[in-house]
Amino acid sequence: MNREKTAAHGKKRAGLDLKNGVFHGRPIYLAAILLLLAALIASLAWAVTIGSVDLKMSDVYRVIAYKLFRLGDAECYGQGSLSDIVWFVRLPRLVLAIGVGAALSVAGAVMQAVVKNPLADPYVLGLSSGASMGATLAILFGVGSFLGSGYVGLVAFAGAFLVSIAVVSLANVGGRATSVKLILAGTALSSVCSAVSNFVLYVINSSSGAVEAVARWTLGSLAGAKWETNLWMLLVALAGTLFFWTQHRTLDLMLLGDESAVTLGTDLHRWRIGYLVVSALLVGFAVYTAGIIGFVGLIIPHVVRMLFGTGHKKLVPISALLGAIFLLWADVLCRVLLPRKELPIGILTAMIGAPVFIYLMARRRYGFGGGD
Amino acid sequence: MRVEARDIACVLNANHILKGVSMTAENREFVGIIGPNGSGKSTLLRCIYRTLKPSGGAVYLDGKALSSYTTRQSARRLAVVAQHNYYNFDFSVHDVVMMGRAPHKRALERDNAGDYRIADEALKTVGMAAFAQRSFSTLSGGEQQRVILARALAQQTPCLILDEPTNHLDIKYQLQLMDLVRGLDRTVIAAVHDLNLAAMYCDRLYAVKNGQIVGEGTTEALLTPAFIRAVYEVDAQVLRGTDGATHILFHPQAQKEGSV
Repeated sequence: MNREKTAAHGKKRAGLDLKNGVFHGRPIYLAAILLLLAALIASLAWAVTIGSVDLKMSDVYRVIAYKLFRLGDAECYGQGSLSDIVWFVRLPRLVLAIGVGAALSVAGAVMQAVVKNPLADPYVLGLSSGASMGATLAILFGVGSFLGSGYVGLVAFAGAFLVSIAVVSLANVGGRATSVKLILAGTALSSVCSAVSNFVLYVINSSSGAVEAVARWTLGSLAGAKWETNLWMLLVALAGTLFFWTQHRTLDLMLLGDESAVTLGTDLHRWRIGYLVVSALLVGFAVYTAGIIGFVGLIIPHVVRMLFGTGHKKLVPISALLGAIFLLWADVLCRVLLPRKELPIGILTAMIGAPVFIYLMARRRYGFGGGD
Repeated sequence: MRVEARDIACVLNANHILKGVSMTAENREFVGIIGPNGSGKSTLLRCIYRTLKPSGGAVYLDGKALSSYTTRQSARRLAVVAQHNYYNFDFSVHDVVMMGRAPHKRALERDNAGDYRIADEALKTVGMAAFAQRSFSTLSGGEQQRVILARALAQQTPCLILDEPTNHLDIKYQLQLMDLVRGLDRTVIAAVHDLNLAAMYCDRLYAVKNGQIVGEGTTEALLTPAFIRAVYEVDAQVLRGTDGATHILFHPQAQKEGSV
């Protein structure tokens, strides 16, 4: 039945697009990776010169050269406001944007495979509401304040991680966790967590700015970027991307479903759990450093699929690079769009992301994988 | 490879779908499984190709229990062309066929020239080489079925399991596919809907009805009008063609009832 429908659907689309993706062949995808890598570095170099304070481009690079390689004049470029703006304000958030963008995009692609649903995003399994519940409890009640200055992020991370573990356990009750059961468990636990957060916010009704603090958290921001956490974020994003890149065959098989995968030699069950844990780690770190940034993890994998096809061998690395570039420029826009005020990045990604998503949906060329 | 199912029982949602079914396929034998809708043909095949765990009995590959093989090992021995191959995401035809190489690959191993060659040859064998970069979902049902067969061929297994492989195919491709499978010289177990196709291509048939084997033998011996009447509840004429093949003619049901 389904097949007949797809076949009919396929014929209808036949005149428009018969090929899977726009670009084909190994050399092209390797070239795309190199090209995007170059674009990422160029973006970083360009974006660091953009900001509310007018700095001379050459000065900006001299500061970076000094900080990285101890080149040039320490008096001018090693200290002072020029040095601080470049090295402690601009560069850290750009680097963080790269880490978070890559982590969210890869996690999004993986989640879409794990739950076998093109509408999944990194937060589909309750990670975001778990994180915001953690943040809400931390901000309003000081839960976990003994953990030190970054305790809100840590509690949010713990919330995200615990919820994802709970989702997996819930989906495993009464049989193996299938993709449908994972989505249902994720949706259910998500609602519970947001109900708790909303209840607390409603009852407390504080005027102390805590509500704003929570809102800032759930809208996402890269303003809190620090070198120490940045390096961790980059490391986790890189490790996660490389790990999932090695898993491309199993990720492909996940999209075929359990039955086909078994006949092709892979029992998906344990992989699914493993991938969820690694994704939770990626997303948890992203939430810890930048709050909840929506749409990146949903859109980027779809754009890459549209251009390069569904195979994860290309999807994982290219999503990571494209996500990094996207979030980097999104953050630049956030800083310059409003005069003297910064736009929360979550609002911007949704503003850009949603129309792109609708455009993709409306365009018949890309059927989100042909499943309708 | 010799495939043996011994006393397979299968209970799904408290329904006894299979009630102790035993069958064997000798090395390089083409075994057909026939029977009416809902008789348990697919369930039996699924127990053999491991997507269902039988509640009783066991499957043996070359005398060794299937459960003692890892999934990877069994996927190097059994390849499957199943009934439903509908995917929510869109792969290129080439990507789909390359997945047949998955059981031969370790996690960090790259696809090498040999894998690409095997995939290309498999596509050529099923006559879909020109479609390599096409989207799987833009293909017709029959074309999709042939791509899935190419994937199974790329698995390079000694045994092939087909669950009604000729569904959705027009007659040319039905014959072409069966010819192709027959010519592979591998152990084949196929659930076949069409008795004429079964008679033309299978070395031996098992007939399943209500979860039990109700007949077994060569096509000439098994497919008699009386037997077809008993299993399918229809009247049929069995003719021997000039080529020596068995042909089965069916008569309209309405006409028969009218004449009573």
